[in-house]
Amino acid sequence: MLNTAHLSLEQAPPISIPFRFFLTAPLFGAAAGVVLIWAGDAAMVSRWSPIVLALTHLITLGFLTMVMCGAMMQMLPVLAGSPVPGAGPVGTLSHLALSLGTGALVHAFIQGSAGWMKLAVLLLGVGFGIFAVAVGLALARVKLSSPTVTGMRWALVSLVITVVLGALVSVGLFGVVSLNNLAAYTDLHLGWGLLGWMGILLIGVSYQVVPMFQVTPEYPKLMQERLTPSLLFGLVGWFLFETGVIRGYWSPLVPGCWMLLVTAGYPWFAGTTLRIQRLRKRQVSDVTLRFWRVGLIGILSGYLVWLIGRVFPDAATAPRYPLLLGILLFLGGVFPLVNGMLYKIVPFLSWFHLQNRQLALGAFHVKLPHMKGFIADREAKLQFHLYLAALFLALAALFWPVFFTRPAGAFLVLTNLMLGYNLLRAVMRYRGTKALLNPLDSH
Amino acid sequence: MEHLLDVSTLEPCEPLELTLSATRELPTGDYLKVVHRREPHPLFPLLEKSGFSWLCRPGGEAGFEIFIWHRGDRTAEGDVVHRALC
Repeated sequence: MLNTAHLSLEQAPPISIPFRFFLTAPLFGAAAGVVLIWAGDAAMVSRWSPIVLALTHLITLGFLTMVMCGAMMQMLPVLAGSPVPGAGPVGTLSHLALSLGTGALVHAFIQGSAGWMKLAVLLLGVGFGIFAVAVGLALARVKLSSPTVTGMRWALVSLVITVVLGALVSVGLFGVVSLNNLAAYTDLHLGWGLLGWMGILLIGVSYQVVPMFQVTPEYPKLMQERLTPSLLFGLVGWFLFETGVIRGYWSPLVPGCWMLLVTAGYPWFAGTTLRIQRLRKRQVSDVTLRFWRVGLIGILSGYLVWLIGRVFPDAATAPRYPLLLGILLFLGGVFPLVNGMLYKIVPFLSWFHLQNRQLALGAFHVKLPHMKGFIADREAKLQFHLYLAALFLALAALFWPVFFTRPAGAFLVLTNLMLGYNLLRAVMRYRGTKALLNPLDSH
Repeated sequence: MEHLLDVSTLEPCEPLELTLSATRELPTGDYLKVVHRREPHPLFPLLEKSGFSWLCRPGGEAGFEIFIWHRGDRTAEGDVVHRALC
């Protein structure tokens, strides 16, 4: 049960804070498309190529983490009754540092510049440091916990570990410090980012937003109570086993077998979400549901490909195998889940803030737009189809890179520009209605 | 007198919209009973801001029942306590 006694919109950060995170994300998504067009088939060679490293971070940091940080700052006061201290300056500084840091990191990868890498590590370290301290304080102050709050706590721990490992790998990569077995540390960084920060946060938040926005039954109690703590425990175990391999204590089979157990939690979550979506009372399909189905199938497919790689290790040594996993899990899995949820969160926040303002001012002569009035269904569906094209073209580019890499990049640009346009229109609609509610405010 | 509103199968923000709209037409002395599948956290501060009192309890087929009446309306409050909760 959530803490309703302290629920108040006044505790939430100004709406401009989450909006700036949400509006920045599609710009980085489009930038990933531009890099793909510029690089062409060179982007499909190996996961270690600078282009792929730049692309991965444009999507994971610039798009996904950008949205997730903004949403977390907004959700904590509303869902957990615990505002982020100093939300205004914390939001402004962490958004700025995350944006500039991601830009610097991508530049460092493409140019092979140690100077830019140091700057990126500094900016991202400061940005995530401010974010983690402020959000960590808010999470520590939650009086009545819930499975969503637990998920947020473990996700934040995972984010800090991901950032520390990322900084370590970056400085190791550019020879600033000597790091034995860079590939294993990179895998740890990737695993904590994907399975911990993104995976645990998405699972924890889904417990609230899926039943609420998609009108489904609740997730099973066992899953809500046990899954995210088990995943964190599993990742800590993996970290210890993996460092044991790096130090030569035991065979890579040990962390490999351990991860077979740990990763089973993700298809369990994806399968359960698909099942409760099928049990909806009103079977009305909307664009968020479409994005979510693609994302959940993406996670299940990625898991299957990962399993095949464990059973047939020769298949996993192919240079494009990790690229296939990356496309399925990031572009086909987490990306559509976040994209789809933006189409619920942005209209809901806009409507809720306006409703609150209308009641405060008693301005009942102004008719507020419905939630669906903020983002037109037709434009959202068009963006979904552009996204689908980008995803399938990216998968095709793995097999025929010369023909499909640049078209995949072009559709990635288009879908992100369309997403940005749709979100911007929602924000403009919010501002227009807010000005009608209190004309003095608009001057 | 009780006014019943079932929003248990509606998507956000329809439950909030319909509930707030129903409160505007709620006569003094009556109360509104909202049947909801979840505890509608965002509704409560909006109700308080509009001059209403509320009581939310788990129960019913949908999951939650929310009773809403004009703040200070002793008749409606007494009805909620006696008829709905006893």
